[in-house]
Amino acid sequence: MKMSISLLINGETYQVNVPHKKTLLDVLREDLALTGTKKGCDSGECGACTVLMDGKPVNSCIVLAVDAVGKQITTIEGIGGITELDPIQEALVAHGAIQCGYCTPGIVMTAKALLDSNPHPTESQVREGITGNLCRCTGYVKIVEAIMDVSRR
Amino acid sequence: MSDINYWEPENLTDAVSILADRADQVRALAGGTDLLVKMKKGLTNWKGIVNLKGLTELKGFIYEGQTISIGALTQISALIDNPLLSLHFPALVDAARSLGTPQVRNLATVGGNLCNASPAADVALVLLMYEARLLIMGPNGSRQVSIQEFYVGPGQTVLQQGEILTAIEIDLPPLNSKGVFFKHGKRKSHEIALVNVAVLLTPHPGRKQIAQARIAVGSVASTQLRIKDAEDSLTNSLATLSAFEQAAELVKEAVNPIDDVRSTASYRKQMVGVLTRRALVEAWGEEL
Repeated sequence: MKMSISLLINGETYQVNVPHKKTLLDVLREDLALTGTKKGCDSGECGACTVLMDGKPVNSCIVLAVDAVGKQITTIEGIGGITELDPIQEALVAHGAIQCGYCTPGIVMTAKALLDSNPHPTESQVREGITGNLCRCTGYVKIVEAIMDVSRR
Repeated sequence: MSDINYWEPENLTDAVSILADRADQVRALAGGTDLLVKMKKGLTNWKGIVNLKGLTELKGFIYEGQTISIGALTQISALIDNPLLSLHFPALVDAARSLGTPQVRNLATVGGNLCNASPAADVALVLLMYEARLLIMGPNGSRQVSIQEFYVGPGQTVLQQGEILTAIEIDLPPLNSKGVFFKHGKRKSHEIALVNVAVLLTPHPGRKQIAQARIAVGSVASTQLRIKDAEDSLTNSLATLSAFEQAAELVKEAVNPIDDVRSTASYRKQMVGVLTRRALVEAWGEEL
């Protein structure tokens, strides 16, 4: 049984016909080809699928697409641009805070929400802020340094 | 993937009647942080979801006299952002901060934390310590139960088919009392409690003796428990380390933990004593 819904993503309205059971993550990736948002654990643990819903980070793998109707969704595609990176993306690159890159879109989204609500966090606030984003490559030190760097600009 | 039925009722009456009419076929969806994971793992045999998101009246805080009413659909992150809760119910805010991750806290709801009836639930444990009253709406009208009467077993509550938890009421704790929430896990964050403890101590005027103690423990029995014997042992007693140690021993005797993937029964029993003692010392808040 499908349902026709309209989703507001990165300021654009998308009309999609989705099964009730389908998650926002799967609709983003499979129906809308917004594959910047990654699927990691698919159970709300790893944070690779983090998007902003009304400005707050959520795991898009445990949100039904039908439940996202009426919300403002921001994905990694809505942050920065190909020629002009967001300061968070620049800082992650500058600090070598990316290895395989799979967690990076989620980290960027979480850091964006964190800095939007608290532009000058302490290091422990940054560490607490990214507890929902697992990175298995870098060990977080460079990620934390990069976010702190942006907060000092 | 066979799809499911789906409803988005616009008011409580409709939500109750959809849930009541379809017996075991449907589940209510609040934050979805547990429901969706279970659904994906195929652990469910229900055939429909009743999304409660349209019931905006079940979201947010109402203050009346000495009581705060928390709507069941209030997000966990909203507890952290509420300065009045930080002032009067700091243990509740600590528990909220320790639940899941920022992403999960933006979805998960207070009502969901209760209705899941996990013995490890953090926010629910502190609500047990603060002696919450739970407001329930169902096909036969509304009723109220104390949080102590709410749990039947792991994952089981007194909610009948068609009933929805609508609000959680807590009264301001006694003047000069202090509540503390401690959680033990393998990590500092993003963790389900191996053991969690919430205590409240109210001193007599003069601050030598304890007027009242509340001790609630989680992950050490099939439901979360208040430990009456340990609480009674502290009533009107002098606040000493040995009194707190004795209360902690009584807690250890009262619990009945299990071995599971996260810990062993014997470790949980040991740690519930340690956490209780530490929480009582912290709640007393000065040199013993």
